[in-house]
Amino acid sequence: MKGIVFNLLEDVVSRDFGADAWDGILENSLASGTYTSLGNYSDAEMLALVSAAAARLQMTGPEVLRWFGENAMPLLKERYAALFENHTSARSFVLSVNSIIHPEVRKLYSGASCPFFHFREREDGAVLMEYGSSRKMCDLAHGFVKGAANMFGEEVEITHHTCMNHGAEKCLMEMRWVS
Amino acid sequence: MGQLKQALQAADPILDLNLRILKLENRLQRERLARLEAEAIAERGLSEQYRQLMLLETIATKANQSAAVDDALRFALKAICDHTRCRFGNVYMLADQGPRRLLPTALMHGKAADQLMPFINLTRRTEFPAGHGLPGRVLESGEAAWISDVAADPDFLRAKAAAECGLHAAFAFPVLVGKDVVAVMEFFFKENLELNAPMLAVMSQIGTQLGRVMERRAAENRLIHDASHDPLTGLPNRLLFVDRLERAVAAHRRRPEIGFAVLFIDLDGFKLVNDSLGHAAGDALLIEIAARLLKVLSSDEEKGVLPTLARLGGDEFTVLLEELHENNIAPAVAERLQQALRRPLMIGSQQVYTTASIGIAASTGDYASAADIMRDADLAMYRAKSEGRARVEVFDQSLHDTAMRRLSVENDLRGALQKNEFVLHYQPVVALNSGIVVGFEALLRWQRGPGQLVPPADFISVAEETGLIVPIGNWVMREAFATIAAWHRAYPWPAPLTMSVNVSPRQFDQADFVEQVLEAVKVSSARPETIRLEITESVALKDPGRAIEILRRLHEAGVRVSVDDFGTGYSSLSYLQQLPFDTLKIDRSFINALQKKAEGGDFVRTILDLARNLNMDVVAEGAETQSHVEQLRDMGCGFAQGYYFSRPLERDAAAALLAQPRRLLPPKHDVQVKR
Repeated sequence: MKGIVFNLLEDVVSRDFGADAWDGILENSLASGTYTSLGNYSDAEMLALVSAAAARLQMTGPEVLRWFGENAMPLLKERYAALFENHTSARSFVLSVNSIIHPEVRKLYSGASCPFFHFREREDGAVLMEYGSSRKMCDLAHGFVKGAANMFGEEVEITHHTCMNHGAEKCLMEMRWVS
Repeated sequence: MGQLKQALQAADPILDLNLRILKLENRLQRERLARLEAEAIAERGLSEQYRQLMLLETIATKANQSAAVDDALRFALKAICDHTRCRFGNVYMLADQGPRRLLPTALMHGKAADQLMPFINLTRRTEFPAGHGLPGRVLESGEAAWISDVAADPDFLRAKAAAECGLHAAFAFPVLVGKDVVAVMEFFFKENLELNAPMLAVMSQIGTQLGRVMERRAAENRLIHDASHDPLTGLPNRLLFVDRLERAVAAHRRRPEIGFAVLFIDLDGFKLVNDSLGHAAGDALLIEIAARLLKVLSSDEEKGVLPTLARLGGDEFTVLLEELHENNIAPAVAERLQQALRRPLMIGSQQVYTTASIGIAASTGDYASAADIMRDADLAMYRAKSEGRARVEVFDQSLHDTAMRRLSVENDLRGALQKNEFVLHYQPVVALNSGIVVGFEALLRWQRGPGQLVPPADFISVAEETGLIVPIGNWVMREAFATIAAWHRAYPWPAPLTMSVNVSPRQFDQADFVEQVLEAVKVSSARPETIRLEITESVALKDPGRAIEILRRLHEAGVRVSVDDFGTGYSSLSYLQQLPFDTLKIDRSFINALQKKAEGGDFVRTILDLARNLNMDVVAEGAETQSHVEQLRDMGCGFAQGYYFSRPLERDAAAALLAQPRRLLPPKHDVQVKR
């Protein structure tokens, strides 16, 4: 996993819970804590951090990932404003992940292995999103979508129909915008 | 972190402060490490990028300097193997013909190659259709591909051999000309390696660079090929042929025991096909003929002869035969070439028959240059043609001597008109019933230097070929017409004398032939009805429509026309009927036969009947004996000329005949002949 994700986690933890909290999480997770956005770090190290954060922040692992994704979004906008510029809704922004956002990520960080999302737009306006990465971080995606909705002043309801963390082969999430 | 844990348990302010310092130090340390790591990553990236750029530049530079595509590819193979530290790399080329596929080449590079032999051997003999295997996939997609472990890739066809040789990761990229894959390069590592996208991107660029070199080289080759080949048949042209011949001449000097020969092939009657069926048919014929000749020669190639077939232009083909160990091979090849042309050729729905006249010159003639041997083969071909076509002639020295004589004749002939070297002799034409001279035939002689009178047989054909016959013929007309006009003034006679003048084919072909005749009549003030133009059947029949028109116009002007040498050509009675000839001249060969065989008389009688039916006068040529004359007169032939009466005479001697009584034979009053 790219170092930028680790940097973002550190940023949101430190901002909301203080630098001591991050120190504690690092200490409990036995992670190195030395992350640069140019580097690549193991997925296991991220899972260990999430697990340590869950314990310290009194959340479940999935809750940490959702909270992290939602709160990382403003930071992402600060860093990569251009990716947001052409969108007027979270829906179109989310739908551009495969075609624009991840290709841009690969340009910045060569060798980045970004997940691929299958989208299906339903007639009633809902968007079905299928995710099948071995990292099983559907909750991070959930958080990112939430965060994106916040950026555009929208509210989105996300339902997990199937989930790899509960034995399913793929995760299937339904996003429904509340108007 | 044990210290940190202990510190956390303390509540002492000092300890608390120390704890904070420790934490800050820790954070500082993390930041420092992160910075160092970032720098290291960036440096590695920059260095890798620099190395890749250098690789690209080195290969591009070398590729542009290489004289041969193979050199560029070989260099790229080694440079990429060194750069990527891979074990083995090789090149596939796109097949020129057949299904779209890649063929293995001898272009390979590897480290410790002996350990890789099972894999290399398999690679050497494996072709990859588009879409199959690693190279086939690259051929189909036109994009570079990467396999982390070929042993575990279901589409990798050489997995077993690769595993045996310890090869795992692999990548391949296309050499692209525009969007077309012309070659594929593939490389193998002994480790499993994840996709290295930036490196693969550089490899793709190398593929594009190499493609440009191949494209440029292909364009150069095309230019060289076009400059040295005939576009219609694809055969070597004169340039390439002469080049190969020069080499053969030089090689023969080093190894005189091995011979070579040049065959000059000229199609008989090709112009007729071109003129009657059109140029497209002519082109199709040339293509088909080239294919037939090539087929014959390829069978000779199997016998160790090295043949080069070329088209020099028009309907002229040449063959260079090298590696000849016997002298009789070239004539045998020439015979087979003629055989191959003997079967009719289908041009569209038309069956076309063609033959070839072939001249041969061989290295036994001890030639110093290609031009010499080509000249001699050409001379031999010329003889094959003049000896009746569809023949093979081998050059010998007599041909050369003849040619030299012809050349000297030609040179002298050019100045002969200016030097007034031509003279006319006149042979009288006698009316057989009255024995009276009724006219003359003007015969050309060439006073080539003092005391040397050249007969027409020795120079007319050269004059005809060079076109000099046209001005000479014009001179003849003016001179002969002026003579007859003068004689009319000097020797008035109720029935006017006639003057016959021979017209050559080349003269008759002049677009303004009629005008030239009428001009000559006008300037000489001769009476047109006293003029007899003699043309041969073949001249008239070459373009009967035009001949009819010319005869009609001459008739309108009062000029008469005779068929000369009647019976020697392919007499076509139907045309004879359409062509308004006035007089028919029986060739001397028939008169000669009169004394020998009874049939000789039958021929002459038949011709006389024919002439009578067509209402034409008849003049027998070559009347040499009294017997000839009597027989001719008995058969009712109107006129004759020949040595019996008089040989051709100089002007003054001929004029003397016109003095009374002008009779060369006692009259025979019982035969009525109109004139």
